[in-house]
Amino acid sequence: MKNLVGAVLLQPLFTFYFAVCICFVCMSSKLQASDAKLELIASPAPLNSSLSRVVTDSTGRVYLSWVTQKEAMATLFYSTLVNGAWSAPEIISQGTDWFNNWADFPSLMVNKDSMAAHWLRMSAAGTYDYDVQAAFYNLDTNDWSEGITIHKDGISAEHGFVSMLPMSEGQTFISWLDGRETIRGGNEETGSMTLRAGIFNKAGETVSEWELDHRVCDCCQTSAAMSSTGPLVVYRDRSEKEIRDIYFTRYVNGKWTEPTAIHNDGWEIAGCPVNGPSVAANGNQVAVSWFTAKDDAPMVKLAISNDGGETFSAPTLVAEQNTNGRVGTTILESGNIAVSWMDTEEPRAKIMLTLYNAEAKLLENTQIATSSASRRSGFPVIVSAGNDVYVTWTQIGSAMQVRVARVIYSD
Amino acid sequence: MKAIHNVIFLCVVVFLSLAVAQSPHTQEAEKKWKIVNFWSEWCAPCRQEIPVLNALNEAIAFTDVILVGINFDEDPRQKTLAIAETMGINFPTLSAEAISELQLGAPDVLPTTYILSPDNAVVAKMIGEQTEESLLAQLTALNLLVETD
Repeated sequence: MKNLVGAVLLQPLFTFYFAVCICFVCMSSKLQASDAKLELIASPAPLNSSLSRVVTDSTGRVYLSWVTQKEAMATLFYSTLVNGAWSAPEIISQGTDWFNNWADFPSLMVNKDSMAAHWLRMSAAGTYDYDVQAAFYNLDTNDWSEGITIHKDGISAEHGFVSMLPMSEGQTFISWLDGRETIRGGNEETGSMTLRAGIFNKAGETVSEWELDHRVCDCCQTSAAMSSTGPLVVYRDRSEKEIRDIYFTRYVNGKWTEPTAIHNDGWEIAGCPVNGPSVAANGNQVAVSWFTAKDDAPMVKLAISNDGGETFSAPTLVAEQNTNGRVGTTILESGNIAVSWMDTEEPRAKIMLTLYNAEAKLLENTQIATSSASRRSGFPVIVSAGNDVYVTWTQIGSAMQVRVARVIYSD
Repeated sequence: MKAIHNVIFLCVVVFLSLAVAQSPHTQEAEKKWKIVNFWSEWCAPCRQEIPVLNALNEAIAFTDVILVGINFDEDPRQKTLAIAETMGINFPTLSAEAISELQLGAPDVLPTTYILSPDNAVVAKMIGEQTEESLLAQLTALNLLVETD
């Protein structure tokens, strides 16, 4: 009888518990259900490689660049993914006087019939004075040019955080942070870091050059994309009151537009976040993701434009609390937008990829890899090819090694 | 007899080693308040605040507060020390092991300066370039008064 009473009393509890379990299982299945398929791809980069980037050409072919460091000698390599296999790594350039930094590192740009690459070279006795060097690939000779200093100021100062874009007629658009004003008049650090850009022909000669903003954040990456209206550069601004929000400027009808905030986050800091924005464009569609931490509350945000970057939507919150930013943005053939970011739980970090539709509605989250929160793990870089997203990052272990993954999204 | 001498010698070595490990200097360092400054060679505001931090380091030489630096870039030890010297940093730069013991996460912004209690609890976080005034105000607020010239 006692048992029966107990059973009667407990039966609803068991039923409730069973129902909760069923719901939990269903919810878990739903949370884990993902149309994304993650594939790790064998890396062509050897042990002790780092500072990698992925880019695509106009046909969607994927290129991977990376740096190896053997004692003082740094070497910039690239490889091409053809029919699922990487080509033999090829050397772009090497040197013993490079400035290699986890946040400011070489890049590769691929045009229809040309390529360009950049790296940073120490310029003078001051350890933080370095120049932007670029090399241009000549299809006729199948060889890379010698490094050319792209800025013509001749001033020993910081120059870096480069973005490159392919342009018509084999030309290359390059934007960079330029510290020439920081040491004007011989007094170090009297002026501000500037944002500059230029167009270079196949031989690396300067076709045009501009100062885009006279006062920007000193140590955040720039990012550039080609929208239907022309090149667009996004960067972290620096106001007189030390507000360091994300700004953009566009080249329209032969002029650069007045720098404008993507969104007024109001992040006031007299310091370096080391966390630049990332922009991608496809026709009129432009997507920008960025890190901000007003009131010491870290967030990753995404804003979208459907008019070639003339106006941007209110931001969508991508991540918060434990994120340390290090964002990437790419637009898929479907019009969906992928944003990469890092989530930290010191000393570990997760590389995350979040997919949104063209209206910034969240579609899915994918954890790409477990990495390290260490600066040596660098900035993951993403690029889309069709509806696949390629991700590269540096795995930290007994030795560093560049990794590559592909995320396949169904249409 | 020789064996006994060896045992006694070994005991003395072990005792001295333990004494050194627990020396007043080590114990004092452990029970001191710490000002921990994250810097990087390529961070202009980091470089700009170094003279202020060097002056503070001198001012707190005989207090219960120590100032230490951390290379944000996690370069190898020898490279870190060379960079610190080039940057004119006169206060100690922590090794990777010492940084690990502090269990401080990497800051979002450079420079960032923490104040840690003797048991390594974060009691203040100062983001961005600091001035003599801002540092003294924070130390005063924590009753860690420092006299400067």
